[in-house]
This record gives sequence, structure tokens and C-alpha cells, in this order.
Amino acid sequence: MVMSWFWATIGCIFNAALVLVLAPLFEGILRKVTARVQSRKGPPLLQSYYDLFKLLGKEDIESGEAPWAQRFAAWLSMGVVLAAVCFVPMGFRAPLGGAGDALVLIYLLMLGGLCTLMAGLAAGSAYSLLGMSREMMLMITLEPLFAVAMIVGAVHANSLRLDAVLGGAVYEGRFGVSGLLMLAVSMASFQALVQRVPFDIPEAETEIMEGPLSEYSGPKLALFKWARMAKLVVYAALFVALFVPWGSGLPFPVGWVLFWCKMLVLVLVVTLVAATHARYRVDQAVRYFGGMLVIAVFALILATYGY
Amino acid sequence: MSLLSKIRETVLCLKAGRVTLPYPAEPRPVPPRFRGRPIFDAAKCIGCAGCANNCPAREILVHDVCQELRIIQYLGRRCTFCGRCADVCPEKAVTMSHDFETATNAIADLSQRLELFMSTCQRCGRCFPEPSPLERLKLKGYRFDDVASERWIFHSKGYLDAESTVADIRIDLD
Amino acid sequence: MAAREKLGFLRQRFGSAIVRADLTSDRRLYVFVEPRSVKEVCRALFRELDARYVITIGADDRPWSGCFMVAHNFAFDRDRLLVSVMCLLPADSPRIESISDVVPAANWAEREMRDLVGIEAVGHPYPKRLVLPDGWPDGLHPLRKDVEWDEAPDCDDSGTGYDFDDPPEGCTVVPFGPFHPTLDEPAHFRLYVEGEIVRGCEYRGFMVHRGIEKLAESVLGYNDIPIMAERICGICGCVHNVAYAQSVEEAVALRPPPRAEYIRTIMLELERLHSHLLWVGLACHIVGFDTLFMQAFRVREPVMWIAEKISGNRKTYGLCVIGGVRWDITPELSDELKTVLDKLESEWHSVARAVKNDRNIQRRTRGVGVADAKVVKEMGLIGPVARAAGVDIDCRRDHPYAAYDRVGFRVITAQSADVWGRLVVRTDEVFESIGIIRQCLARLEPGPIQTPIKEDLPAGRFGLSSVEAPRGESHHFVITGENNRPRRWRVRAPTYQNLQGVPSMIRDAQLADMTIALGSIDPCFSCTDRIEAVDVRYGSVKVWTPRELREMAKRPQSGRDIKDS
Repeated sequence: MVMSWFWATIGCIFNAALVLVLAPLFEGILRKVTARVQSRKGPPLLQSYYDLFKLLGKEDIESGEAPWAQRFAAWLSMGVVLAAVCFVPMGFRAPLGGAGDALVLIYLLMLGGLCTLMAGLAAGSAYSLLGMSREMMLMITLEPLFAVAMIVGAVHANSLRLDAVLGGAVYEGRFGVSGLLMLAVSMASFQALVQRVPFDIPEAETEIMEGPLSEYSGPKLALFKWARMAKLVVYAALFVALFVPWGSGLPFPVGWVLFWCKMLVLVLVVTLVAATHARYRVDQAVRYFGGMLVIAVFALILATYGY
Repeated sequence: MSLLSKIRETVLCLKAGRVTLPYPAEPRPVPPRFRGRPIFDAAKCIGCAGCANNCPAREILVHDVCQELRIIQYLGRRCTFCGRCADVCPEKAVTMSHDFETATNAIADLSQRLELFMSTCQRCGRCFPEPSPLERLKLKGYRFDDVASERWIFHSKGYLDAESTVADIRIDLD
Repeated sequence: MAAREKLGFLRQRFGSAIVRADLTSDRRLYVFVEPRSVKEVCRALFRELDARYVITIGADDRPWSGCFMVAHNFAFDRDRLLVSVMCLLPADSPRIESISDVVPAANWAEREMRDLVGIEAVGHPYPKRLVLPDGWPDGLHPLRKDVEWDEAPDCDDSGTGYDFDDPPEGCTVVPFGPFHPTLDEPAHFRLYVEGEIVRGCEYRGFMVHRGIEKLAESVLGYNDIPIMAERICGICGCVHNVAYAQSVEEAVALRPPPRAEYIRTIMLELERLHSHLLWVGLACHIVGFDTLFMQAFRVREPVMWIAEKISGNRKTYGLCVIGGVRWDITPELSDELKTVLDKLESEWHSVARAVKNDRNIQRRTRGVGVADAKVVKEMGLIGPVARAAGVDIDCRRDHPYAAYDRVGFRVITAQSADVWGRLVVRTDEVFESIGIIRQCLARLEPGPIQTPIKEDLPAGRFGLSSVEAPRGESHHFVITGENNRPRRWRVRAPTYQNLQGVPSMIRDAQLADMTIALGSIDPCFSCTDRIEAVDVRYGSVKVWTPRELREMAKRPQSGRDIKDS
């Protein structure tokens, strides 16, 4: 018992460190590819690390309506991602995979959105409040999508345990219609889950000036940015674990490398989609996700009937 | 989603390759007609002050210290490199260089000062050929700008002391 | 003939109220009218003869005629005619009946006339300060001749804020600007927002006045002004440069040599090319599509380089002097320009095809920022905004200048009246511009590029010039004067009219569409705010705090905003 706790803790720390260290690299790759698509040279691959270091070294300015809430929101956003990391397999079995069920993960990731709300409220400027209301609208339609994806897996696996849900349970061994539907839905809404164009609506720089983040600077901004980068990795890992599990069971170096290669491909797809799309308006996005939700619920019904 | 259109756009973008230039690291050559910082050649200048009278930014000051010595000072602070001075110069003493990276901490670095020994016409005090009619419109006698404090004195507000000017040149105060 | 017909109509209708009429050519008509009949004459022109309102000019003519002068300019686009309805007002009571209730587009121009020249438009529906800063003393009108060009009044505006209107019930105030990522220049829109829906707005701009018109009337000379004029705008500088030169040339009956006219046409079209490409890029950036923004700029860059090769500068070409141009196009440059155009045409074809088939962009632009033909008429909107609403006007064809009467081109129009329509119009105009430049290059005949000026330019003559800038018609009005400089020079940039149409474009639209709707007129605040050297400072920044939001949720009628130091 003691040993398993020990290994779980080590695993958590390892996962968190891995995500924290690799997230800026993924962001760097994303920026470099974006630059190539835009006929630019682009920043150095390690630029995201430099940015974070620079921001972390800056003066911590208290601003906005409620500075404590602002700071709390920044810490919480980072904390949520780090907590979620413990439930997500990163090429290995998730360190706390047996400790929580799918619902814990759903709530944890939802908490990430709440951080943005709190940040917007704490800043209290017109633009951050606008960003907050947009985030709220998106959350209402977006989060159920993700929940349904997990639950479809859970229905197929007949268990809410994470290690059962993750690992390809959505297809239930064969290619069930519901699993494929959920794959399509998740692909179509993945940009929004990781807050990239065309669904970076709550932060739309050219409309509402980064919205909730407009009052942030220095270390707090660094935390938010870092959390956002990590979010990309976490969601990508979740997506791979849920929908593209093949090969992860292979022996150590092969399976591990394969896992990260799949993540990389996913990040590249995200980049290309982000680089070739215009931002949607919030009402268009909500309508879009509404449609997706209908499909997702349909898939859930199919899943309960065993398709 | 119009997937086909998106793919077409992506191909279009990738086909172009990298087009940005490593500008500050490597200098970019400029075309021959490029208008950079004007350079005043004291050897060619005859001191007609046509440049000063035609400078839209009023950045060229003229001051006659005495009958024989004229100072033409180019300040270069507000200069927009329009090249009118080079256009009107009858002796081609002003050339537009290719020098455009003129950022400096000391604004005086940009100025050029010409001290010209003038041999004036005994009769009228002028020393340059009759300018074209259009330019003549503007030449209402010489300008006596405040070179010491680097300011241009507006024609209609010429508030120079009578003592500091040369007696036989009529200052036009319109 | 058109000019005589219109004059005949006015004579018959108003009889002795028409004091004098100058027909300087068949394309210009200056009618001097009794002050009491000005409004009726304008009504007849605008409503009955369906003229397009251009601009209102106030001038201080006291040193010469002892009077103030007001001119309302109208355009008959089908008849190639520009009409100026002028009247003289006594020096002791410079008041004239406002025409803004008849011609809504005159709203700003009359307020500006009040601010700068001190001519009161009696009965103006919205007589608020437009141009001058908050603390500027009342009664000091900078464009009057007895005010020195470097007059700097004691402008203490620390205690006075601009008196904004109250927002409508249930709306929050969202300040948009003076600084915003999509505004390249300062301007302030006070948006009244209900949820995500914009219910209305108030505009306070004119923050970057540089005193250009006053300088031109008091300090500069005729040939200095073109260099200053092109600095009115960073994008369409050459347009102002040419428009000014043409208005002076028209006033003094001077014709530049044909080669100069062709070169002007070529440079104006080069400017339109780079401006349209820039706009398509910026529009994409505003809707968050940065890749196409970069691609548009990539395609645009060779245009900048060839302009640099011809004129010595990427922008601010320094092209015109009175009576000609300064830069010749050599055969080598001509060949190079042709190569650039060929490459541009093929590349823009592929970009345009990609953009036009992109449903994603269409979703963000269709039905957004609608200004239909009625709004175009009422507010005097021009350029791609008007053409996208199916209003077929283009100064290049309607009031030909330079060499436009010798080249053939299509005027692109669209029917959708929205941002998408403007995008299509601009995208297609690029090909027309390429065609115009090719024709000009083919017809460029050897010869001088400047007409020598033998005599002093005569004083007291009027000159009008309308030049089709990439964003619409740029209109310059000049009264020539003594001392080698004009008495009055009035610049009406296209954004001046188009901005007045923005409130109706964004009413009841999504807040997210505000930026692209505003961007779609290609606003140029430096063009609009050119007049007086002042610095507008805002007394306060207004924001809603959560506490007030909560209060407001309880009491939805409280439309009051608080000051946040």
C-alpha cells in the first residue's frame, strides 16, 4: 500500500514536470509552423520558454477590482491543469488513473474555464467582463460535449473508472457508430477546448483585447499562459488516449514514442486549422456547438443501446 | 466548413516559402532613386538659399553674419527627406543620399552647417542667377533665421533687431 | 451643358436669390446665393435633382470681401458636374441656416465650420463640439485670419470633460478606443451595449489634428503644400497630393503635360493597389485570420518596392508640384513595372479565388455592417462602401481627372451592401487597377513632365478637385491667394463622410462585428482629423465595475457611468 502511494506520487510529479517542461516546446512548434504557413521565418523554437522566463521575472503588479481574486485565478488555472495531469496517461498508465473516475476529470477541466470567469470578474473592466460572458456562453455548450465523449466511453466500458474509460473504450473493441460519431464531434470542437482560433472568442485580441487577460501582467500572466500551453498538451493526451489508443500498449520506448508522435500530429492539425480560419462570432460558435451537442447526445443514445 | 478552400489556401501559403528578410541583421540595398538624408556640399553651394525657401518643413536656416559670411544650417530634425532642396538647387550641391538609418541620441548629429564666403554683387547684394519665376515668388529678400537657437523666423513676424542685419539688404517684412 | 441646365433650373426656381454664377467649365458651377435661400437651394439640389452631398466649407474672407463665406458642395455624378453653392455672410453676424435636417450628411461639416471658423449653423440638430478639444476657449476660432498660426491658448481642460450623451436605458457603455488593437489611430467610440448587441454609439474623434490647413494658409507656399498634403494620410497620401495640385491647377487654369497626367494616373493606381491589398489583409486580421493577412502583405510588397524605385520612397511619393510631377518613368522602370503587375495579377487571382470561396470568411462578413443605398444617399457615403450597396459612383469615371478619360475600366459594384460586398468590390478593383496601369504604360508618350509657370498665380480663384482614393472620393477645395499661398484650402477625406455612416452600420449588430464593420470603411482618422494643432485629452476613462453591474442588475434603468481615476 505504501509503495503504491509512493509510486503514484512519483508518477504525478513526473507527469506534471513532463507537461510543464514540454508544453512550451509544443507551443514553440506551433508558432514555428504557423510562421511557415504565413511565409515568415518565425520565432526560435525555444521562444515560448524565453517569454515565460521574461514574464516570471517581471514585477508583480496588483491591478483590477479584486487583486486577490486575480492572483487566485492565475494559481487556480495552473493548479487545475496540474491536477488534471495526474489523471491523464502520458504514454504510461495515468498515475492516479485508479483513484478518480471520469466525472472527476470532467469537473477538473471545467474548473479551468471557471478560472477565466474569475479572472474576468477580478479585472472588472468592460472588456474583461465581455470576455467573461463569452467564456460562460462557450462553456455552457462546450463542456457537455467533452463530458458526453467521456460518458460514451464509460457506457461502453460499463464503468466510470478512468483507466477503463481511457484506452479505446469508446470503440468498444470494434468500430461502433457512437464512437466514430464522438470522434468526429471531438475533432470538430477540439480547437475550442484548447482555446485556439477559430474559437478563441473569449480572448479575441482584435475585438475585446484579450478579454479576461487584459488586466494581467508579469508572473500572473505567465501562469495563465503556461496553463494554456499545458492545456493543449493535456487535452491532446486525453484525445489520444480516448480515441487513438492503438499502439500505446507496446513495450516501453516504442509505445511511449508512438504516443508523443500522435500528440505531435494532433498539435500540427490544430496549428493548421488555426492558421487557416477566421474567428467565429460567439453566437455562431454557440449555434455550432449546439449542433454538435445534438449529435453527441444521439451518439450517447446509440451507445446505451450498444452500437 | 469549406475544406477544399482551406486546403487551397494552405497550399497557396506554403508554396510561397519564406519571404521575410533578415533586415537589421543584413542591410537591404535601396534603389538608385531612393531619398535618404540630404547631403550638403559646401564646395558647390553658392548660398542662394533656394533650399531654405523651398523646404516644406522649414528645416534649413539661413543667417548672414556679415556681408561676406553666410551660414546655411540644415537641422534634420523634422526633415521628411522630400528632396525639394535637391530639386531646386541650381548647382546640384544638395544630393539625396541613401542613408536612412539616422536614429541618434543626440539630435545635433543630424544637422549640417555650411559657412559660406559670399562675394556679393555690389549693386543689389545678390549673388546667384535669377531663379525661375515660380521660385522667384518665394524669394522675398534674404532670410535671417535665428541660427543660435536653431529656429526659423516667420517672414511676417521678422522680429530681428535692425542692428544685427546687414544694412544694405532690405528685409522683407510682409 | 449640364452646368447650364442646373443653373437654369435654379434661376427659374429661385429667381433673384441667385446673385451670381461662375461657370469656369462645363464641369464646374459656382452659384452665389442669398443667405436666406441657401437651405432651399440645397434642398432642391439634394432632393429634387438628386445631387450627392460632398462637403460644406466655411472660410474667413474678411480681409478681402469683408464677409465670411460658406460653400456647400454637391456632385452630379451622372453629369460630370461639381456644384458649389456659395454665400457671403456679414462679418458681424456669421450665421446661416443649417442644412443638416435636409441633408443629414452635412452634420459634421457644419459642426466643424462652427468650431473652426465660427460660422454658426442655426437650427443644427446636434450642435456639439466636434473638432476642438474639451478645454479650448469658446469664441476662439483657429481658422479665422486674425488668429496666428502658432496661437496656443491657455487650454486647461483638467476640470472639463467632454459632455457625452446619456446611454439609452438598459445599456452598458463599452469604450472603444482611443486605443484598441484594431484601431491604428486614436478615435473614441462610446458604444451602448445590451448584452452583446450594440444599440448605439457616440463618436469623439479629431484627436490627431496637425494644423495642416492652417499651416497651408499662413506659412507654406504653393509648392510646399503637396509635400504636406501627402502626409495627411499614410495610405492614400498620393491622392491628397494629386488632388491638391489639381485643384490649384484648375483654379489658375494650368494644364500639366500629358506625360505628367499619365504618371499621376499610374502612381494613383499603384497606391490603390497597395491600399486594397493592405485592406484585405487588415480585414482578415480583424476577423482573426492572420495567415491571409500575411499573404496579402506578401503579395503587396513588390508594389511597394516598385513605388520606391519610381519615386524614391515606398510611401509618400512626393509626386506632384503645381503643373506637373517630379519623377519620370524611364523605359527600364516601365518594363519592371509590367513584370511586377503580371506577377501580382496571377498571385492575386489565386488569393482572390481562395478568399471568395471561403465560407468561413463569408460567415463573418455577410450581413454585417449593412449600409444600404438609402443610408449611402443620406449620409453621403462614397467609395467601396457606396459601390458595395449598388450605388454606381466612381470619381475616376464620373469626374475624370489626370488621364482617366483616356483609359478604359469597369466600375465594380455589388448589391449586398455589407462587409462581404466591400471585400468583393476591393478584391476585383485590384484587377481593374492593373489594367489601368498597363494602358497608361502603353500610351505613355515622350514629353516634358512639368509645365513651367511664367507668371505669379492669380489670387481669389476657386478650384475643386475630386480624386477617387482607394476608400472613396477625396475632395479638395482651394481659394488661391496672395503671397504664394492659398487663402483657404479644405480637404474632405473619404473617411469624413464614411465615418458618419458607421453608427447606422453597427446599430443592433453584434459587438464582435463592430471592429470589422468599422474596418470595412477602411477608416483613416489622420485624414479626417487634419485641421487644428490641438491635443484632445479625456478627463476620464469609464468602466463598469462588478459592483455597479450588480447594482444595475437590480435597477436596470440606471444608465449612469462612473469615473475611474
